[in-house]
Amino acid sequence: MIYIVSAENRRRFYHLLTEMHRQRKQVFIDQLKWRLDESAGLEIDAYDSEDAIYLIEAATPRGGISVSARLLPTDRPHLLSEQFRDLCEAPPPSGPNVWEATRFCPAPDAASGAPRRLMLGRIIAGIMETALLFGIDEVTYVASAALAPMAKGAGWEVRALGGGCGKGRDKIQAFVATIDADGLRRVRANFNISAPLTRFAPAEPARAA
Amino acid sequence: MPAGKLALDFIDFCEKQADASMIEDRFVATLNALGYEHIACASHVDPLRPRPGAVSIVNYPMAWLQQYSAENFAYIDPVFLAARIMTAPFNWDEFLSKMPLDRVQKRVLAEGAAYGLTGGMTIPLRSPDVIPASCSLVAGADGVEPLDLAHTLMVVIYGHGAMHRRLNPNALVEPVVLPCRERQCLALAGRGKSDWAIGELLGINERTAHNSIERAKRRYGVSHRVQAVVRAVFDGQIVLDDLST
Repeated sequence: MIYIVSAENRRRFYHLLTEMHRQRKQVFIDQLKWRLDESAGLEIDAYDSEDAIYLIEAATPRGGISVSARLLPTDRPHLLSEQFRDLCEAPPPSGPNVWEATRFCPAPDAASGAPRRLMLGRIIAGIMETALLFGIDEVTYVASAALAPMAKGAGWEVRALGGGCGKGRDKIQAFVATIDADGLRRVRANFNISAPLTRFAPAEPARAA
Repeated sequence: MPAGKLALDFIDFCEKQADASMIEDRFVATLNALGYEHIACASHVDPLRPRPGAVSIVNYPMAWLQQYSAENFAYIDPVFLAARIMTAPFNWDEFLSKMPLDRVQKRVLAEGAAYGLTGGMTIPLRSPDVIPASCSLVAGADGVEPLDLAHTLMVVIYGHGAMHRRLNPNALVEPVVLPCRERQCLALAGRGKSDWAIGELLGINERTAHNSIERAKRRYGVSHRVQAVVRAVFDGQIVLDDLST
């Protein structure tokens, strides 16, 4: 099950969000050695905010995360407009109907190979379901050489935004994916997904003080 | 109330409040509002017998504190040991997973967990106190908003400083400054050298070496040279490297 966590309902997902930031620290800082800041074992960057939408696949609403990803609105500063501007030949698609997907994070102990490919497929299906729900037309993302072919071949329609940067395994490249029902059907078919994966749990009613 | 407002209101309150106990209450209330249920902001000593002038705010369950005190857990608790060597806030689970724990340490952690003291975070505090201090926080059942972490750290670090200042209004005294010769002699005394050996090493009279150390003792107001060495190490005029041969 992939939980959609937004400003509206994040209050009931503090445990999951904290676990996600902890996994991001373990994966991006400890394992992949990205130069990111951490505090008290959590990786939180300038783009983490109430305005981001998090997709968190977990065993329960309180823990057991298998994979997570972050969706950022693009009508304000986001990674592609600030950090990765060089990867785009023209100004990247942005605006109220475009999201940027970042921080695709399999759990630190996730098995490599096929299980990770399936995780990416489920997260892409989750991104498409959520984007359709919110009326989003396009999703941009930056992918490494390892991830790019898998993401590109998932079944959604993808276009490169530039030739990329770096060589071999260190190459990174920016892409934009089209969000439509046909694409979602193809992704689901490719990954044997028979039903919607995402759930949106509304905020709890306010408690009496 | 947003975390930023809670934190700024707390700092504003500290600025205007002279009474340390009022700041303590507000400190606990602010951290409660940020989602933390258990708070221990103290020096690393027996929580039921704090040193005079030391900040000690602990709202852990009393039964646990009594057991902690009776069994001298302060000398065993791996979280305390971790807080001593860590320079930045850390998450218990992450640190403990990398630390070799003995049977007794595992028992302390398991018994604390039975009181709900699990999955916490500790913020090491650099305090002008001889004993290391830290603030440990354990979230309540609903968890805490990860984006509020920076504001939580602000409350803890500022609050600890404010309470320390209120509890020690006369703490700001003239710092001791050792002249070069006294510092050299004291460092050699700290390496176990006699007055005669210090004189030989520095090419000065044995009597001069002795008098330099006596003057350093008077500056610190202590009666034994070992005490003067410890004080000089603590206030940074001698570093531990000076003492190793």
